[in-house]
Amino acid sequence: MRVLLTAAALGLSLMATSAGAQTAPPPGRLLASNCYQCHGTNGAGPGFDSIAGKSVDEIYKELREMRSENPGNDIMKAHARGYTDEQLRQISTYLSQQRSTSSGRD
Amino acid sequence: MSEKSQDKLLRMRRRLLQAAGWGSIGALLPTIGCGGGSDPAGDSTSSALGWSSSRTTTTTTTNALPNTGLSGRVVVVGGGMAGAAVAKYLRLWGGSGVSVTLVERSASYTSNIMSNLVLTGQRTLSSLQYKYDNLASRYGIARVQGEVVAIDPVGRKVTLASGATLAYDRLVLAPGVEFIYEQGVGIAGLESAAAQARVLHAWQAGSQTTALRNQITAMPKGGVFVLTIPAKPYRCPPGPYERACLVADWLKKNRPGSKVIILDANPGITAEVHSFTDAFMNVHAGVIDYQPNVVIHGIDTSTMTVDTSIGKISAKVINAIAPHRAGRVVTAAGLADQGGRWASVNQLSYESKLAAGVHIIGDSAGTAQPKAGHIGNQLGKVCADAIVRAFGGLPPDPAPVTNSACYSPITMETASWLTAVFAYDPSTQAMAAVADSFREAAARDGGNFSNMSKWFNALMSETFS
Repeated sequence: MRVLLTAAALGLSLMATSAGAQTAPPPGRLLASNCYQCHGTNGAGPGFDSIAGKSVDEIYKELREMRSENPGNDIMKAHARGYTDEQLRQISTYLSQQRSTSSGRD
Repeated sequence: MSEKSQDKLLRMRRRLLQAAGWGSIGALLPTIGCGGGSDPAGDSTSSALGWSSSRTTTTTTTNALPNTGLSGRVVVVGGGMAGAAVAKYLRLWGGSGVSVTLVERSASYTSNIMSNLVLTGQRTLSSLQYKYDNLASRYGIARVQGEVVAIDPVGRKVTLASGATLAYDRLVLAPGVEFIYEQGVGIAGLESAAAQARVLHAWQAGSQTTALRNQITAMPKGGVFVLTIPAKPYRCPPGPYERACLVADWLKKNRPGSKVIILDANPGITAEVHSFTDAFMNVHAGVIDYQPNVVIHGIDTSTMTVDTSIGKISAKVINAIAPHRAGRVVTAAGLADQGGRWASVNQLSYESKLAAGVHIIGDSAGTAQPKAGHIGNQLGKVCADAIVRAFGGLPPDPAPVTNSACYSPITMETASWLTAVFAYDPSTQAMAAVADSFREAAARDGGNFSNMSKWFNALMSETFS
């Protein structure tokens, strides 16, 4: 499942770029970096919940749920409202490929 | 992902390339796209994707950086939230072939975020200082402590005060802001250094923060503290209101009978309207007097009187957040085309609209995004991504997203928050807030206050470690 999703996202990215596609960065890399201010570089902390290395489905489902709930006093529920389904999927895919430890960068 | 599935993906990717008719173009590009790497096909492609490196990194040394096959020289001027982030991500994403030199005049960065808590004695200034050692040792960023005095965008080099020059392929300017005090432009009466030492801005954390703390603790019971807020845009939209709340709370507990008068040049509270209206009308009622739409005619530092459109106000402490503009390196280079204050940039890459190869990020950039540290970090990453792509012959990401977030103390124990996601609008070619994400906390509470420290520590670690 993860591979299929990645391949699908990759296809989209290739279509979005032009001649120099040789060096196109992984899809979702820049988008997912919006998470790092609160969840650490590559989502691996230190910070709020570690979000690196979970399955695509787990991250995606959680983000969609948060987006649908009344934010109240929960900043993440407000934040999740800033992304489309496709963007949440790209973020989830990229984060799922990151190591759950911070590679010593803590 | 296993090696096998990576291989499978790469094969799939090549098929997609060929299907799209780019296979042949790709084959012609290796020296352009991969900086002259000797392996034009498989290996350089896989390393450029950054998967193998990001998944096998085990050490904290510069050896952990991927070899993407890309190369280029970047000089970053300014080591604040945006400058540090762009330097780090140029190396993380660009790899070992992208050299980064960070020029910063100070030996360490002092965070503006949380610095209002120095005024209440809840934090020390030294607890807000971050050195550049991690950026140097973990990412191999070359560090130059100095000041850029001239930019040559044609010859692509900068000159330092020491006389040394640094050549670049891309230059990133992230100098933050400079406060405006010139006669006829700044607040009348604050032109001299002596006046500026008496009426502080304390809007750049450092010695002024400590000095303002000392002025506050020297206040008598029943004293008046005046805070003036410039017309937007200014750095950290909720910051002045947060400061008023914290000073009011401290005075309430330590100097009973004192007042905080806010003289706001803006027609109303510019950020977190719900939280700060509640703060001024309820939480700090009787202590904070909020006055919008106020024009400051001048400040007399000998009598400590502010002459305003609503009359003359005398105070024990006047804290005038002077209007500001892009840092001097930007204005001196003639790049602050927006009223001489802020720099217009391509909002996909943060490249100056006036100088090719010069990128301007952080507070100096003139966009609809707030001037603040959390989003400054993100502008650094968008800019790094665009420069790395450019070194590979690629255009910038056509749909960048950034986000702003902050926690704001309302009292010494409670806080609110504010957040917004910004997305690129191709029709205006500008970043714009995603309306549904532009929100503030439902209510101030202690949970937000403790999350504030967690957020701050995460943000600073992400930026400087």
